[in-house]
Amino acid sequence: MAEQQQMSEEQAKELQEKIKNMSPEELKEFQKKQCIFCQIISGNVQSKKVYEDEKALAILDINPANPGHILIMPKEHYSIMPQIPEHEVVHIFNVVKMLSNASLRALEVQGSNIIVANGVAAGQKAQHFMVHLIPRKEGDNVDFDVPQKTIPEEKLEEVKQLLAKALGTKVEQQTPQNNQPLPQSQQLTTPKQEVVEAEFEEPVKDIEKELEELEVKEEKPKKKVPKKPKAKKKEPKEKEQEPKSGANLDDIANILGVK
Amino acid sequence: MSKNCILCQIVSGTIPSYKIYEDDLIIVILDVNGANPGHCFIMPKEHYPIIEQVPDNVLGSIFTAANKISSAIFETLKVQGTNIFVRNGIPAGQTVAHFMINVIPRTEGDGVNLQWEPKQMSEEEVFTIELKLKEQIKNTGVVSAQPVQSAEPLAKPASHPPIEDDEDDYFMNQLRRIP
Repeated sequence: MAEQQQMSEEQAKELQEKIKNMSPEELKEFQKKQCIFCQIISGNVQSKKVYEDEKALAILDINPANPGHILIMPKEHYSIMPQIPEHEVVHIFNVVKMLSNASLRALEVQGSNIIVANGVAAGQKAQHFMVHLIPRKEGDNVDFDVPQKTIPEEKLEEVKQLLAKALGTKVEQQTPQNNQPLPQSQQLTTPKQEVVEAEFEEPVKDIEKELEELEVKEEKPKKKVPKKPKAKKKEPKEKEQEPKSGANLDDIANILGVK
Repeated sequence: MSKNCILCQIVSGTIPSYKIYEDDLIIVILDVNGANPGHCFIMPKEHYPIIEQVPDNVLGSIFTAANKISSAIFETLKVQGTNIFVRNGIPAGQTVAHFMINVIPRTEGDGVNLQWEPKQMSEEEVFTIELKLKEQIKNTGVVSAQPVQSAEPLAKPASHPPIEDDEDDYFMNQLRRIP
């Protein structure tokens, strides 16, 4: 990167010209070579790897918002999320979930923020798509600001129509009251979604088993992770109860019932 | 469904919303108090308080939708970026006990701040964290080994177009950005 900054204007122009004439494949190759994260993935640049499989890598962020701040990235070079094939997106976020679970248990935190930035305006700094997983606890001085604006009704209606159309959803002129699921043909997920669901059925059971086994292993005399969390009612007395250190998913979920 | 959950009531239609997408597993609505027009929430129809409780296939649907909606936002709203932002747990800013994610269209100077001040940590602290995480992942990380395998067979039918030249200027602009 340093040598790039020392480029003369002419060289920069030349490079720009060269980039303009590249095919998308060539561009991707070119970007890969420049990408620090691709070098981390290949092992040329050192990092603190916490998890790795054939598709994804998770490392500790060297400029963490909090201790345990993890970057999760596909091994393949993609600069923004819409370029990533669906099954890889699914895999990456399941890895994120697993890591969030692990940090709740290992780092004595009570929550996590997950952040993806697509585009410079969104705060994207690296050219390699990645997900930030930031463990959170009370008073950690991390402050994300998502302002709440009042968006006029006409604007909401207009945006709704635009986005629904782009997504292939049929909507009525006014905010719909009916909650019929769309016919299969209109669904955003392609038919192969069925395959995905079928493929994932096993792992889902495994998680539950896994969690239950874990409860036993940790000898927590507490409730098991329920099969159906929805059935669980939070009682008002649990209102302000703080989660204990470490991670009991039930506790964390329960105290949420508050507001 | 949870009786007191406002999002469950939105899912069931008891509370009206600006719905832009729905299928068997998930629903997508516009945030009426969004950071920008087009700010939406994607949530599972089933009531799961936190991400750790959301089954893999449902989570997969949520983020697949996030990806598509992100593209739709780029195409139709002409913004310069999108964020996906999740608040999981109270210290993370979660206020409703129904897991959901935010997709936020971004423009320069829109007041959204998802940056942070890096915390200084000693090498020893980092080492301890690394060790603790790895140890935990060894015990509980089995979960994720599965999706890799199941993702494989999907690779061929998926046939995702690589990056097409005319697909979207935004992609090409991204690629052409000089690092």
